[in-house]
Order: sequence, then C-alpha cells, then structure tokens
Amino acid sequence: MSELSNVAGAGQSVPADLREEVLSASTTNAGGGGFDFENHHRNARIAAELAKSGKEGTLPRAKLTGTTICGCIYKGGVVLGADTRATGGTEVVDKNCEKIHYLAPNIYCCGAGTAADTEKTTEMISGQLDLLRLSTGTQSRVVTACTMLKRMLFRYQGYVSAALVLGGVDVTGPHLYNIYPHGSSDKLPYLTMGSGSLAAMSVFETGFKEDMEEAEAVELVKQAIMAGVFNDLGSGSNVDVTVIRPGGETAIFRGLEKPNEVSELRKTVERPAAIKVPKGATEILASKFQPLSSLVTVEDAPQPMEI
Amino acid sequence: MSILEYNGAAILAMTGKNCVGICSDSRLGNQAQTVATDFEKIFKMGDKLMVGLPGLATDVITMKELLTFRLNLYRLREEREIKPETFSALMSHILYQKRFGPYFVEPIVAGLKEDNTPFISAFDLIGAPVVTDDFVVGGTCTNNLYGMCESFYRPDMDKDELFETMAQCLLTSVDRDALSGWGGVVHIITPEGIMSKTLKGRQD
Amino acid sequence: MDIATQQEYPGLKDGEISTGTTIMAVQYDGGVIMGADSRTSTGTYVANRVSDKITSLHDHIYACRSGSAADTQAITDYVRYFLASHSVELGRLPLVKTAAKMARGLCYNNKDRLLAGMIIAGWDPVDGGTVYEIPLGGTMMKQKFAIGGSGSTYIYGHVDAAFKENMTKEEAQQFVRKAISHAMARDGSSGGVIRMVVIDKTGVSCEYIPGDQLPFGP
Repeated sequence: MSELSNVAGAGQSVPADLREEVLSASTTNAGGGGFDFENHHRNARIAAELAKSGKEGTLPRAKLTGTTICGCIYKGGVVLGADTRATGGTEVVDKNCEKIHYLAPNIYCCGAGTAADTEKTTEMISGQLDLLRLSTGTQSRVVTACTMLKRMLFRYQGYVSAALVLGGVDVTGPHLYNIYPHGSSDKLPYLTMGSGSLAAMSVFETGFKEDMEEAEAVELVKQAIMAGVFNDLGSGSNVDVTVIRPGGETAIFRGLEKPNEVSELRKTVERPAAIKVPKGATEILASKFQPLSSLVTVEDAPQPMEI
Repeated sequence: MSILEYNGAAILAMTGKNCVGICSDSRLGNQAQTVATDFEKIFKMGDKLMVGLPGLATDVITMKELLTFRLNLYRLREEREIKPETFSALMSHILYQKRFGPYFVEPIVAGLKEDNTPFISAFDLIGAPVVTDDFVVGGTCTNNLYGMCESFYRPDMDKDELFETMAQCLLTSVDRDALSGWGGVVHIITPEGIMSKTLKGRQD
Repeated sequence: MDIATQQEYPGLKDGEISTGTTIMAVQYDGGVIMGADSRTSTGTYVANRVSDKITSLHDHIYACRSGSAADTQAITDYVRYFLASHSVELGRLPLVKTAAKMARGLCYNNKDRLLAGMIIAGWDPVDGGTVYEIPLGGTMMKQKFAIGGSGSTYIYGHVDAAFKENMTKEEAQQFVRKAISHAMARDGSSGGVIRMVVIDKTGVSCEYIPGDQLPFGP
C-alpha cells in the first residue's frame, strides 16, 4: 500500500513512493527539470508543529480555478468556452483570467482545478508538441496532445490537479476530449468541466444538435458558460470563447460576453471628494530618489595605474 | 492559522500613467508578538523592476537570495536587464518547480516595461500568475486591501497621485489588521528612477 | 477481513473517475461476445453516459474495463502497445492468452496502486474464442463466461442459471443483453446503453441497444 505521509505540499499529501520516483528522476536544484522536493521535509515539520499547537488549518492552499469550462463539436470544427474567474478560498483573486490555453496552432485546451497546475501542464505539453512538430514536420494531432496530457497526469496519480477540456481540428477532423486529473479521458461531442459543469451540461443536454453551424455552436457554448457564471459561485465574470474551424484555423474571442462589466457604470458615478486623496495628505518620514543607472554619469575620471 | 500568516505582511502594487508603485508595511512579527518594525519585504530587481514578497519571513529572505542569484545569472548570460514580463515567467517557474514542497511566499512583481508602460503581476505560492492592469495585493489583509483599492483606484494616475492613493490604501488597510502595520514604505517606479518614501503609520 | 488485507487494494482516490460498471464476456460456438453498460461516474454525477468500456487491444482481442478509469486506460494502453510489437515480431495474430497474461502482469505487479478489474476476451487461431477474467489482485482465470463490475453482483444467480455451453451466436447475444439489462436496472452505477462486441474468426462486429429498448423482465 502506498503509504501516505501526513504531510503536504500546497495543502496536499504526497505518497512516499511517488516522492521517491520523482526525486530519483530529478536533481535537487534549478535547471534540473522535474519537481524539486527540497522543502518537503521542512514543510512537513511545519505542518506537524502547527497541528501540535492545536491551530486548526495547516498549510496554505494554492489558487483554484472554481470554474466552468466546456466545449462542443460543430460541423467540421470545435468551439471551446470558459469563464474568467480565479478564486483563492472565497476571495476572487483574478476577475479576468484566461482559462483557454494554447497547445498548438490547431489545438486549444480549457483548464479547471489548481491554477498553477493547469497553466504549467498545458505549457509543458505545448512545448513538447512544438518540438514534435519540428521533428516530424507535420501538424499536431489532437490524440497526440490527449495522450501526452493523460500520461503526464497519470504519472502524478492525481496530485497534479488539472481537469482539462481538450479540443482541436486535425487531418482526421474535429476532436474533443475530457481529461481528468488522475489521467483518464473521454471523447465526446460536447463536454463540460469544473464546478459549474452541471449547470453548463444542462444547457448542452437541452440545446445540443449534431452538425450545427459555427454561429449556432458559439451561441450554445456561450449560454452554457453563462449558466455556470450565474449559477455556480466558483465561476464568474466574462465568457471567453475559442473557435477552431474546419481547416485548423482559429478565432479567439476574449471576453465575448461581459455580463458583469461595471466599469462604464462606475464612470457615471460621482465619487465623493474623500476618495481622491489630495497631494501631500500622507505624512512622510523619509524620502529617497534612486535615479536610473543608465541616466547616471560617473564623474570620477579613471586614475592611471601607478607603476 | 496559515503559515503564510506567521510573520504578517501587507503588500500592494498599483499602476499609473507611465509609472507603477509597490508598497508594503514594515512589521516582522512572531505571530501576535511584534519583533521588528523595519523589516524589508520589497526588493529591487532591476532599474525599473521590484518584487514584493509577503509570506513566511525565512522564505522571504531565501527567495530574495534565490532571485538575486538567478538574476545575476541572467545578466551574465544575456548581458542585459531582465524585462518585467520575463522576470514574471521566471518567478512562476521557480515557484512551480517546488510544486510539492513550496516556499511560503506569494510574490508580487511591479515594473515598467521597455516602453515605460506599467506591468504588475502576482503569484500564489506554487506560481500561478495573475496579471492585471489595475492593482494586485498580497499578505495578511488582502480583503482590506482589495476593498480600499477597488474604491480608490483610478486609471492613469500620475506619480504623485499614485503615491497618495497607494499610501492611503495601505495605511487604512493595515490599521484593521493585527498582523501588519507599524509604518510602511512606498516605491514609485518612473522612467527616471525609483522614488522611495517611508510612511508614518500607527505604532500599535 | 483483517486490516492487512483491507489495505491490500487501494480505493478510489478523492474525485477519481470510476467505471462503476457492469461488464461481461461469454464464449459461444465459434467466438466470444463481450458486453458492457455505458455509465462512468464521479461520485453521484454521471460524467459520461455513452462511454465505451470495451476497448480494443488487437484486431481480434478486446478488454472490458471496470474500476478506476485512469488505471484501466493506462493498462489497456500498455497492453495494446506491447501486443502490437509482439504480433509484428511473431508475424501472426497474437493469442488471447498472451494479451491476458500481459494485463495480468501489470495488474499483479502493481496491485498496491491499481484499482482495475478486467475481462480480456477474443478469438485466436489456436484456442478459438476465449475469455479471461482478471479481478482486483491480479489473478488470471480462464472462464467459459465472466461477469464483472459493481453491477455484476446482482446477476450472479441469473447467469449461473441461464448459461449453456456451446450456445449459438444469437443465444449468446440474448444471454448478454438480458444479464446486463437486469444489472443496469438494479445497480445505480450502471446505466445508459448496452454496448456489445462480437468476435469470431471472420472479424469483429459492434452493436448497441438504446437505453429505452432494454430487454428487462421475464
């Protein structure tokens, strides 16, 4: 039985055998590649100390993307959609983040789960796909991306928590995959993921038709994300949509719909005078100016060396 | 209690017109006990680039050393100053490398890009980046800071307006947080250089 | 059961996708028929209602998957890869036994980290239609018919009573359809449609029965 150590990185425990495996595959410092477990034992002791002193809650949690992401296939192409809210606990950390990640010119990927994991996993696979394209001289295929992603996630046994909706068009047509954090995948004509997936799925289950036109598919995806934005607390802000058309050409609609945009309204509100702080209102104890090094001329002429 | 709240900190970065600011409080605590009131949490990483490190003090120092090392290596290899965008990517990489044994810091980067437009970004402890065009906050009173910034921030402030706004946001926020405060420091990065001002704050 | 044996096999990890399942395979006169429901679930949510749990390993060899979706997909990926190069080296069709032994090897050697119950079946020129069952610990058993997954517990009595040796293809199809539809009716983690794969000397044919046409009842 893989023994679970009661300690954690970013609020998670890592089984001993996984740790060994990764440790043996990497060096312990910068530039070695792979994960670095240098701080693991220290953090374990911190967690143990915290637990001993009776303070509930132990190690901090990473930023999560409580999310609604989805995708659907239409006549020859794929539409991907995502909301733009990133949360840390109950706090909205980013009101307009990007959850549709680039993998290849003809393949994109929506990510839900731990923000850093979705970001870095897609980034890494995107790099590997790029190298593969250079060595084979062919367009990347969606199955290839799917296999690479699921292999990586399976290796980390769910500890890299990235839930992905992978979509793209290649020589064999449009494809849409679901990839779960533990490394399993499904292939379906329409998909949803994240905390708002149930709301979004209800829209797809009522509105999905085979061989839709692009506009129709974009509208359906938009409505599905909006269902997540309004009915799921973890999702919010805007709707991002990426369309991958039959030839593999892509169209990115960042902020396709902004149902929660308030800046225009805000501009019309007259601010109370107190909101604008007058100059000199803040009491200062000391002040120092460091000019740009390129703007500084050194006036000391160099002294000739004595012989 | 989270280990991120062990020493206490409040850091805020905000954009202006051709200027960007980053400020922090000065407290170093051992939980509720104040140990020092002149603890540095913001570090200069280039002529027009600074980084704020809220979190566990031991990791703040380690991270500063590590960043300085990586930055020197970059200068040596590239023979140029690092861009804020590049520094941001480097930061994310360093943090994610320790995905399963992180440093307990949530860094904030503020700098001017090559065309002197502002750049700010923030990270969680395992390197998930947040890049915005208004403000980012970090530390033990992010709720307070968010509230202040949401109402006080205006786009395109000049360097003096930016200073006043940031200083007031910081001072007001830390007054309602037991773990941060005891004065503060504001750095305003402009195309000419960095103006640093020490603030007078409550000593309780 | 003592604690040591309880810890022998891992459970599903938090949030892991499972194929809470009904799967089966049966030998008939001339080949094998494999059947499965189409539900995959995360907890109580149906993550996929039209999934395909009968995975191809080679031209005439298929696997029914139950347990963790990630684990069983990884195993079948490996076996498919091994089998492909094995058959190229051999220059002929691989045996079902070989495929089953490959899967058994993976399941047994990694039993402490896998949650995978599989049925490997197919046709080969040496043994004809063959069914192998590989339950949780990595045992491999040759069977005349095999059932597996959470839904199988509801139909043991039924299959024992209804099975006959040397059935015709039609009889065997009816046997599979009936058994799975009854398991789907009682098991919450099984549902959707019935997928079936018929494998004999001539090749493979797939069919499915929609969820509203299940032969449920006497």
